[in-house]
Amino acid sequence: MDYDVIVIGGGPAGATFSRIAAQGGMNVLIVDKRKELGVPVRCGEGLGVGEVIRQDLDLPRACYSTPIDGAKVIAPNGKSIVWANDDTKGWVLERKIFDKWLCELAVDKGAHVKTYTRALEILKDGNGKPAGVKVSHGGRDPYEIRAPLIVSAEGMESLMARQMGFKTVHSLYDVDTCYQYEMKPYNHENLIELYFGNSMAPRGYVWIFPKCDKKANVGIGIGGNVVNGKKNGGIDGAAPKPLLDEFIKNNEQLKDASTLLDFGGVISVGAPLNEFVKDSCMVIGTAAKQVDPIHGGGIGLAMETGVIAAKVAIKAHEKKDYSKDSLYEYEKIWRSEPGKICSQRLLLRKVLEKVSDDDLNHIFNQISQPDLQQIMDGNFAPSVAKVLVGRPQLLGILSALRS
Amino acid sequence: MIKIKHEGCILCVGCSSVCPTNAIEVVGTRMQHFPERCINCGLCVKICPANVITMCKDAEKKADIQK
Repeated sequence: MDYDVIVIGGGPAGATFSRIAAQGGMNVLIVDKRKELGVPVRCGEGLGVGEVIRQDLDLPRACYSTPIDGAKVIAPNGKSIVWANDDTKGWVLERKIFDKWLCELAVDKGAHVKTYTRALEILKDGNGKPAGVKVSHGGRDPYEIRAPLIVSAEGMESLMARQMGFKTVHSLYDVDTCYQYEMKPYNHENLIELYFGNSMAPRGYVWIFPKCDKKANVGIGIGGNVVNGKKNGGIDGAAPKPLLDEFIKNNEQLKDASTLLDFGGVISVGAPLNEFVKDSCMVIGTAAKQVDPIHGGGIGLAMETGVIAAKVAIKAHEKKDYSKDSLYEYEKIWRSEPGKICSQRLLLRKVLEKVSDDDLNHIFNQISQPDLQQIMDGNFAPSVAKVLVGRPQLLGILSALRS
Repeated sequence: MIKIKHEGCILCVGCSSVCPTNAIEVVGTRMQHFPERCINCGLCVKICPANVITMCKDAEKKADIQK
């Protein structure tokens, strides 16, 4: 065997896993298909302080563009609620630098990284269990690397995870399609701004993430099931770029601003995979669809998962037992901790997408910052009660939140 | 069949993530379509945030490949 574990993908999940695993005495290799880690950026780049503090990391200044205090959510009629407290602090990152830094931390602990190295195929042993990866560096002749444990941290694409038998294909209902510009100038208040409205962003929202020097990431995400065309209940002409352009045209500050960068992507906003482990393999991070279904954020969750999975991998390594049973502890811990919050948020997402703009305005009128905090903590009942006063007809939609 | 306009592609791999048959993958620095695996379901066309994937006639596809 060449290594104890091969990690496919050097994003936040893969790099965090590798750091902890290497620290625990495992011989780790990360392969990443990209020439440069963190590029292309496909993300709004927001990260809360929580996971960085819990993992006792000292985020270098270069890794983030600007610190943020919290979020401002804006109703279709323009009414806004600010949600800012100690727990909502965070950063808008520079993913290019952040991802590389996380990989460097793993290297500091003894992990190996190979960039521009694409995993082509999962090698199987005589019993059909994964036993290595066939890779190619920069499109050159493929070669084989062997390890008793393969970790897929591939993100949205997750083709190797599919080869290992995980059902990582997304349905349109479970993704948002997004387009984003980096724009300047935009005067912000160190708050992430989230604009809701079914005509502006059907089954999604527009975000403005502040960056340094009066820059901002201005993006839109809309539901994959409503995008492009009336077929399957979609909305004709609902595509992320034209809708974002429309939003910008109507925004006093942004209509004359310049765009510095165009990018986009598809994010997972559905339920996590139905299994995260099989014999000799684990799936972590966005590849396992471990993403917050409300905002599509996955960096903090990926880092948290990296630690959980690596601790279980170290135990498996010590016992020399990489069976599904041995690795299952990771899945069990994940589903009982971060997974609980994810399923509450999924429930909330599914309820919110049924609410009309007018109802949304009513909800924003009824709730305040502490209510918003409770909602994000998964305690829906008090806010539901407030909203139902004056609009009992919403009971049908909101009752799902009262269980 | 589908056709990808590579100039506008932002390499987000959204199409790969919804493709039920792994018929689109990143190869080198661009998305490549594997027509032999494609079942013409059109999910990639719908989901593409940059609107660079379109449905086309099979004959058009052949002409595109030969280019």
